[in-house]
Amino acid sequence: MTSVDTEVPSRKFFFREAIARALVEEMIRDPRLMVLGQDVGAFGGTYREFAGLHARFGAERVRDMPVAEASMVGIGVGAAAAGTRTLVSITYMDFLLLGLDPLVNYAAKLRYKTGGQLRAPVVVKTTAGAKGQGVAHSQCIEAWMMAVPGLRVVAPFTPGDAYGLLKTALREDGPVLYIDHKRLFQTAGPVPMAETFVPLGCARIVRPGYDVTLVSHSYALVPTLAAAEALAAEGISCEVIDLRSLAPLDLSTLCQSVARTRALVTVEEGQLTCGVGSEVAFQVRQEVAIDRVARVGAVPAPVSSNPVLEAACLPDADRVQAAVHAVLGTRSGDGPHRAKL
Amino acid sequence: MIYKLQVPGPIADVEEIRILEWHGAAGTLYAENDLVVELETYKAVIEVRAGQAAYLRAVLCEAGDWRRIGETLALLSDSVDEPLPTTTNADDLSALTVAFAIV
Repeated sequence: MTSVDTEVPSRKFFFREAIARALVEEMIRDPRLMVLGQDVGAFGGTYREFAGLHARFGAERVRDMPVAEASMVGIGVGAAAAGTRTLVSITYMDFLLLGLDPLVNYAAKLRYKTGGQLRAPVVVKTTAGAKGQGVAHSQCIEAWMMAVPGLRVVAPFTPGDAYGLLKTALREDGPVLYIDHKRLFQTAGPVPMAETFVPLGCARIVRPGYDVTLVSHSYALVPTLAAAEALAAEGISCEVIDLRSLAPLDLSTLCQSVARTRALVTVEEGQLTCGVGSEVAFQVRQEVAIDRVARVGAVPAPVSSNPVLEAACLPDADRVQAAVHAVLGTRSGDGPHRAKL
Repeated sequence: MIYKLQVPGPIADVEEIRILEWHGAAGTLYAENDLVVELETYKAVIEVRAGQAAYLRAVLCEAGDWRRIGETLALLSDSVDEPLPTTTNADDLSALTVAFAIV
């Protein structure tokens, strides 16, 4: 989508409810769809995002699994390859590492190595990001997953996109990694009343602007949008783009924006080295010749469970603002002005 | 005395809630500790109970409505026929009412 979404009739949902609604609709439609994961059953999910599914669809289709991520993803991928469709919930993305072999070496390759005869329609749903839980429960490693051919990666920011992206993911032929951020579960927002799909590979312009393009995804859009608001007061107009889909990337929307603004700042909660921003910046610069580029991300350190140190690790609005000033050659506190072009 | 019942807070990470269910209507007399309304946060249901005896006089939002922390949900009073403020403006209401005690 290359422009701001048009208004559609909607109702306000908590983020978790948007996920549950997508699953209810898809489980009604496809009786082969199963949900596997820790606490997905009667408990309703760590973030209550599976609430009601167990009561409605039963223990055969909503299965609690032991703390054994490799087996869980393996079973989900195998069952999908055998003709079902599965959603495997890995509560924290850090522990997806244990389940990468079946996801990367089997699910993502299956269609290729069988000449299209077998497919693994599996969605691995997980939760990334820092929220006071320390070094091994806070990571954003989605950039690693962007480098796996055959694996699609999505990361919604709004409840409406959580609903629409999960719906689309649950109809894909191959594996999709669907990533929430822990801090998004406390949000609420409009979800279309009518059944809606958000296509993969389709970014969204969250805030139109003309001086600089800010590209982000998931919860990192919070500091990004806060910085855009603060910069607007200084006379700098930021166009903010929510990637929504990391693989495939919506290069068209990104390039059209950067071709207008001639400046790009990427913002992510993950590491900068081989990060989402590195990939975005390189791919955009292959198409649009610009030299005003900056990346904002976590500092190269494990994320502490100490809230002060956690905050120090992560990108915030001030760092985004500083990066924008650096690429535009402007200074904070100069007062209202147009950026130097 | 006219009281305003507000969305309690602060609650960690919660900015807004959804009204789940009212337990009473205009005219209901609550004793201390009676359940007045249930509110839904992103992860839990909060029971709001009366911290004092009072009549529920005006319910300002319905089940399914969203309100932010501190916003007024209802007006209550000590006596059943005490005249209510006619304004619905939040600032004016604040000047004419006191916070209803809850537990």
